[in-house]
Amino acid sequence: MTRSRITAVGLMAAAALTVTGCTAADAPSDGPVTITFWGSYGNGGNSTQQDALNELLIPAFEAEHPDIHVEYVDIPYDSLLQKLTTSAAGEELPDLVRADLGWVPQFAELGVLVPLSQEMEDFDELADATYPGVLATNLYEGEYYGLPLDTNTRVMVSNQAALDAAGLSAPPATFDELRSLGDAVKGTGTFAFAENKLQAWNIMPWIWSAGGDIADPDLTTSTGYLDSDESVAGIQLLVDLYVQDAVPNLIIGNEGATATSDGLPGGQYATILDGPWMRGVWSGQYPDFDPVYSTVPAGDGGSVSVVGGEDIVLTQSSENKEAAMEFIRFTQSEQFQIEMVKTGQMTVIPEFAAQQNEIEPFYATFATQLETAKNRLAIPDASKVDAILQEELLPAFEGTISVKEALANAAAAIDPLLPGAK
Amino acid sequence: MSRMPLAAVFRYVVLAVGAIIMVTPFIYLLSTSFKPQAYVLTIPPEFIPNPATTANYEQVLTSHNFGLYFLNSTIVTVISTVLSVLISSMMAFAFARFKFRGRELIFRILLIGLIVPAMMLIVPQFVLAKQLHLLDSLVGLIVFYVAGTLALNTFLLRGFFEAIPAELDQAMQIDGASAWSRYWRLAIPLAKPALATATIFTFLANWDEFAWALTIITDQDKLTLPVAIQLFQGQNATEWGLVFAASAIAIIPVIIVFLVFQRYFVQGLTAGAVKG
Amino acid sequence: MTILPTPLAPAGRAPEQDSGARPAPRRAGRSAVPFGGHRRARHSRKAARAKLTPYLFLAPGVALFAVAILYPITQAVNMSFFDWQLIASATSEFVGLGNYVRALQDDRFWLALANSGIYMLFTVPPQIVLGLAVAILLKKRSPAQPVFRALYYLPVVTSWVVVSLLFKYLFADAGLINFALGDLLHVTDGATSWLANRWTALIAICALGVWKGIGWSMMIFLAALQGVPRSLEEAAIMDGANRWQQLRAVTLPAIWPAMLFVVVMLVIGGFNVFTSVLVMTGGGPGGQTEVLLTYMYQQAFEFLDFGYGSALSVILAIVVFVLAIVQLRVFRDRSGEAYA
Repeated sequence: MTRSRITAVGLMAAAALTVTGCTAADAPSDGPVTITFWGSYGNGGNSTQQDALNELLIPAFEAEHPDIHVEYVDIPYDSLLQKLTTSAAGEELPDLVRADLGWVPQFAELGVLVPLSQEMEDFDELADATYPGVLATNLYEGEYYGLPLDTNTRVMVSNQAALDAAGLSAPPATFDELRSLGDAVKGTGTFAFAENKLQAWNIMPWIWSAGGDIADPDLTTSTGYLDSDESVAGIQLLVDLYVQDAVPNLIIGNEGATATSDGLPGGQYATILDGPWMRGVWSGQYPDFDPVYSTVPAGDGGSVSVVGGEDIVLTQSSENKEAAMEFIRFTQSEQFQIEMVKTGQMTVIPEFAAQQNEIEPFYATFATQLETAKNRLAIPDASKVDAILQEELLPAFEGTISVKEALANAAAAIDPLLPGAK
Repeated sequence: MSRMPLAAVFRYVVLAVGAIIMVTPFIYLLSTSFKPQAYVLTIPPEFIPNPATTANYEQVLTSHNFGLYFLNSTIVTVISTVLSVLISSMMAFAFARFKFRGRELIFRILLIGLIVPAMMLIVPQFVLAKQLHLLDSLVGLIVFYVAGTLALNTFLLRGFFEAIPAELDQAMQIDGASAWSRYWRLAIPLAKPALATATIFTFLANWDEFAWALTIITDQDKLTLPVAIQLFQGQNATEWGLVFAASAIAIIPVIIVFLVFQRYFVQGLTAGAVKG
Repeated sequence: MTILPTPLAPAGRAPEQDSGARPAPRRAGRSAVPFGGHRRARHSRKAARAKLTPYLFLAPGVALFAVAILYPITQAVNMSFFDWQLIASATSEFVGLGNYVRALQDDRFWLALANSGIYMLFTVPPQIVLGLAVAILLKKRSPAQPVFRALYYLPVVTSWVVVSLLFKYLFADAGLINFALGDLLHVTDGATSWLANRWTALIAICALGVWKGIGWSMMIFLAALQGVPRSLEEAAIMDGANRWQQLRAVTLPAIWPAMLFVVVMLVIGGFNVFTSVLVMTGGGPGGQTEVLLTYMYQQAFEFLDFGYGSALSVILAIVVFVLAIVQLRVFRDRSGEAYA
């Protein structure tokens, strides 16, 4: 990433801003228009993200656009989906929403979102600057309904002391090394690996790394993909470790088991998969814990993790779409992206990755992992897929049916949900 | 003779053991609210915070406009509780002391209101509130809180009004008292324990209500406490010390209302009847 | 990626939290029911006004109820006959009883219904027995009485989300319950994964329900016990009745209407269990502890399938309504009243 390229992109973005800025200014206006933006930047008691937005970024944007006033409304994360749903029913949505990337197809299907790829003349330039994998989460029926705002992925996080005790100097880099770790911890009371659930977010890294997938690229069938030998190999690894007590029953959904966020620093779990946000949590709670980050253990398909993050979307009910799109452009700017990096959000624009890793060297592993990370199914019924996986895979872990059967059952249930099959 | 103190001792021991069981988790909540750092739920539980801190309370009280949310909650809850208890006691009086066409039918329809899960009504109620221009306003909260607690209070109070001896009612009627004065001067004073119970329960329900407040309030200056407390629960990490400190503060008004109104419990029906 | 939906006391009313009591001392055996005295009215003008009176008392409440609750209920019922589209401008397809047929064929619905029923069965009787016991013990006036009353009532005023979290930690693999059963009492090996299995998880959820509900029923029984004429109790003691006989012959009949209210409300509340399941198990593992409302919530607010969600709610309402009417009849018959 050369400096000149970064400058070039910056200039392009600036040019885009001025061009459209004029368009917006041409519109007759009496006083500044107000656009509302809903999100969950207020991360619990930690307000650094919200503060960066309210005190730095929005004022900067308003200074450049005196005719636009941005009002950010913080909604509790756990309730955002419910608030969006009811507001959509009452046609009371705000102009802009910071949406979990899994929700975009769901709301696009409802018809409440503006297809940005149609409405924004500079959409392609903005889109091309982002990670393709992250951008793809906005795609629904051939149109893009949002732009990536921030991203993340899961990498392997290890407790070095637990690894040492098992005789490993470095985190397991392959499936086989993880299996050896499983054998090494036998009888020590330490688990080789811990996982929360059996949803796509949890199991897809193992399926992809094993060379499997959940469906074909055209999304016509899951059968033949989710129950392929490769996919089976990925899940079989987890089931084998579970059966030999190297993975705790947290994975089948035991809410009473020690959480990964406590078990890893406590040394009960040698490794977990998790995102960049945990660093801040641990530095507060377990100041002595020094997490080791590495890429997801590689199988026959390489080391492939799952993409997470948020997108920004524009709603159909917005009365100030031009102004709102102006703010969307601003979210893609270097200023916005870098400021958010400082608060713990990873940039969605590869050109800023070097700068990001300079600010926080810790992001490097995540950035590497993101290069190959894949999306979960970007379909309106993605939440149903999660429920199916959770339910159908449980018997395989309990040992009542084989992994192959469990995955075949899940695939059969997922098939009718795929848009290509409808 | 010597059995009485023994029985009393036994009674107190049983009550005390029960009370300890009831209170332990609550003490745990309080102790957690005085612990430093996030994720203070250690296992096994530690009841004495070490080191103890008031930082959580300081942060709760200084961030997020907590005072304003507390005020909003107080306004909404007090008004809706008074209105709900008043209106439903009138309905209960009608059901209990009059025979009229449609009495059982109307009562059963009220019962349906108790039974349909409120979650399912949120979307239609939201659309309705929009048509009535009640979105994003405290009035919108009050109207639906009153409506939502009517059926339950009516059901509760009907039984108490039915229990008032007919002789008292008839005596007043012979004296030429109107229906309103029989309601206001006889039924209401005699049903004080029930009205106190209804007040306590209604206050609590409205004070704690979350889903509707979340749904219709967007203006950050009109938030109520339960939604504000929820803002302390983050996407990836929750600072339980903060959540529990905020919850502990939020419990105080409910306890005050409880303590104030429970004194009506000592005036039983018999006492009232003798006076009446 | 946790989507932990809202902890909610549903809009404006949470049957397990708010409500009240209805004690009514019945003069044993006799059933002179006092219905106003309007039949005595001599003049027709007066009679007409008297006829109107109950409706005037009902008017404000009924009007508000009709607009804010009843009308939305009809909308929700209407939704259940459609493949309902959230957005008003979209056309919803009429599917008739399709959503109901789907529910009857849905194994997860039956599992959720069974779990709700189990919760109801294992929480209602203990709350009644223990709540009444505490109320009787607390009835007698003493300096300690208000303190105990407040202590027993504390769980009721603490929010469901908070107490659910607390119980989740009490029943955690390394929690206080395992510690007490294993290390202190040596009843178990102290390694029970309570929340990893349908039945043990339901035990934990029911334990929370009972613990949180005792104070509520205690309150109503206390209010009701205030209404029991002291003369009746004294008469029973004079007749040489022991405590148990006194309870059966005098106290219980006298608080029968309160008992009816408590039973009906607890059954409704039992079927409406929601927040505790959501917080403690999330319906897991693998949907094994899903109850009707968590399943309904998932269908409606996660899958945006409001048609099916509404149908589930209507089924729940019908089941509970029938149970409530049956209870009203049974109780009324037992109390010797003729007007149920």
